[in-house]
Amino acid sequence: MPLRYSAEMADAGFPGTPKAQFLGAVRQALGRVSDAAQIPYGSAVGDPVELERQAAEARQRIASRQRELLEQFAATAALRSWKVFRAPALEDALGYVTSLAVALSASKVVRSNQEVFAELAVDAALQHRGVQVIPVAQSAGRDRAQLREEMASTAMGITGADYAVAETGSVVVLPRRGLSRLVSVVPPVHVALVRPQEVVASLDDVFLLRRLEYYRRGGDMGSYLNFITGPSRTADIEQTLVVGVHGPKEVHLVLLG
Amino acid sequence: MAEVKTREFNRASSLSIQDPQLRRALQKVGTGFDAARRENIVEVTPEVWEQWRERARQIKLHTLDRLDYYLDLLEQRVSQAGGQVHFAKDAAEAKAIVSAIVQRNQVRMAVKSKSMVSEELGLNRVLESLGVEVYETDLGEYIIQLAGETPSHLVAPALHKTKEQVSQLFAQKLGVPPTSDIEAMARVAREVLRQKFLQADLGISGANFLVAETGTLVIITNEGNGRLCTSAPRIHIGITGMEKVIPSLQDLAVFLRLLPRSATGQRLTSYVSMVSGPRRSEDEDGPEQFHLVLVDNGRSRLLKDPDLREALCCIRCGACLNICPVYQKVGGHAYGWVYPGPIGAVVTPALTGLKDAKDLPRASSLCGACREACPVKINLPRMLLHLRQQLVESRDPQQRAEDGGEKLLAQGYAAMMGRPDLLGLARGIGRVLQAPWEKQGKLEKVPAPPLSLWTRSRDLPSLAPRTFHDIWEKELSRAPEVQR
Ligand code: SF4
Repeated sequence: MPLRYSAEMADAGFPGTPKAQFLGAVRQALGRVSDAAQIPYGSAVGDPVELERQAAEARQRIASRQRELLEQFAATAALRSWKVFRAPALEDALGYVTSLAVALSASKVVRSNQEVFAELAVDAALQHRGVQVIPVAQSAGRDRAQLREEMASTAMGITGADYAVAETGSVVVLPRRGLSRLVSVVPPVHVALVRPQEVVASLDDVFLLRRLEYYRRGGDMGSYLNFITGPSRTADIEQTLVVGVHGPKEVHLVLLG
Repeated sequence: MAEVKTREFNRASSLSIQDPQLRRALQKVGTGFDAARRENIVEVTPEVWEQWRERARQIKLHTLDRLDYYLDLLEQRVSQAGGQVHFAKDAAEAKAIVSAIVQRNQVRMAVKSKSMVSEELGLNRVLESLGVEVYETDLGEYIIQLAGETPSHLVAPALHKTKEQVSQLFAQKLGVPPTSDIEAMARVAREVLRQKFLQADLGISGANFLVAETGTLVIITNEGNGRLCTSAPRIHIGITGMEKVIPSLQDLAVFLRLLPRSATGQRLTSYVSMVSGPRRSEDEDGPEQFHLVLVDNGRSRLLKDPDLREALCCIRCGACLNICPVYQKVGGHAYGWVYPGPIGAVVTPALTGLKDAKDLPRASSLCGACREACPVKINLPRMLLHLRQQLVESRDPQQRAEDGGEKLLAQGYAAMMGRPDLLGLARGIGRVLQAPWEKQGKLEKVPAPPLSLWTRSRDLPSLAPRTFHDIWEKELSRAPEVQR
């Protein structure tokens, strides 16, 4: 549930133009007198039944092309500077993640809690190699500031993915318990684990599915929807590309299956 | 509002042209971002590119025509997500709103991700006057904040600086050793700002798009600073122009395809952050308050003018700057306000008043390159012409440009061209008068006006010894191939 404003806050009254007046001025600029609701094109207010139909179609299309999309995703992601590792078996994925941590001489890594980790016992494997794993989920009781400080001193952040977009080579992450957006952006190295069923063809697929979900959940998008496409980078000085500014310099993609 | 120095365009641009550092910095404008943009068009094929542009344009025009409806929907949906929308008719109101949020929450430190609207409002000064420590976190913005300057490009605000200048600045302001390594400079910014992200109580961002249907603010960045600004501090303020709204989530895809490709030639930026309200109770992180400040500040003037409305379709990609022969020479600061280049020349007069920005619509050769580059097909040359027309025909004398005898000249020219005898006489006199300055068919550096206005920066072809008419009569028309 959204956190609501406390009554005092809502009543406090901020400076600014009241909405009706502001919209009135816009309407006047548009040269219209009536404030009758305009017919939105293609319906800005989605029709859940129609969205369901489209989504079912999209899922079918994606499922029938899963292998091909996985290959396309791997190729595009590599172009976007992800270090792509294909892991046919779970052990391969575990091996890759642990050897990464060891190579970084990481004593601590931080991990978000996504479904993939139920299949893949990353924690045990890492702990076995002497790497401490900090799951975000346990942070509830902890001071937020403390978790952040901890995060800032870890060498690596590990996440799953809600979608992997073949068109753009992006990993999409949605909010859920035990997941912090900071895991993929604060530590200098980010590792994302992707399962084949998370791959979709295009941005259109992601937005269709999320739009449907918005209505299914009674009009809640969740507080964020984040795309990660390769490492942090900038070209702000002399248009010269530099990798690793505020976010990670190194990003790894472990593709299962 | 940020200081308006548009009156000085002519002076500022000649200074810019003479600045060797700036010329070096600007050299890459056409070869860097713009070359990458072109490669992308080839990759997706020009046909597909054209379809995307047309679709994006239609979405924007549709939304602008019903802007009141979509703003209303947006407000409802943001509130439903637990956020609060504020409406500001001008810069003063926008600043008052932000000040109120800051004071009520006893904000001490703010981190900002790039926002042109915040530049437009001059927001940093207000925050500082309230005792808030403000940090720009986009590398380019951070550089110009340290230098006490304003952005010179929509996408790369510190484009006017060479790496030597940045290195000097960092050494001076941050006490780090000078370096020629750009990576090392980025590392300095990372280290300095890292702590600020974690300590700040307020994150301020702009918005690239606002999705009405779901009440979502979309920002795209490459550095990751946008994500940190919007998720680490306990309050997030998104501040942006009211024209940024699009109808639904499904309309967003085409813009995410066009914007990064047009701006930096990327398929997609490293980060796209979409925020819908504050953190929910089950979230592990995120701000407790989400405020969205929607700013008019002169935009309704653009909306009102059917000839200029489409300027509000702009997605601030900077492609028209990169390709503009004028921008490439004079850089962004000469334009005198926040928005430079061809789009700045259209938007600035509307937002700050044409009477103070008379030179901007004339700072174009009307070559049309900007229109071709624009991902939403804004007809910039047509709008520049429209503004020039206003400069000539406006009933408000303050808006009219001093025409410097142009009208008289045009009338004289018309009269002369209608009378061959007069024309011949004028030519004869002209040939005599030009003799002292004529050199190999060109006039260089004529000392007195009006010709000196032209020849101070370029040569003028001189009146030729023989007219074409004469050559035709006596030779060409008698040449054998013409007779055949
Ligand atoms: S006018 Fe067009 S090309 Fe120029 S910044 Fe705006 S969207 Fe980009």
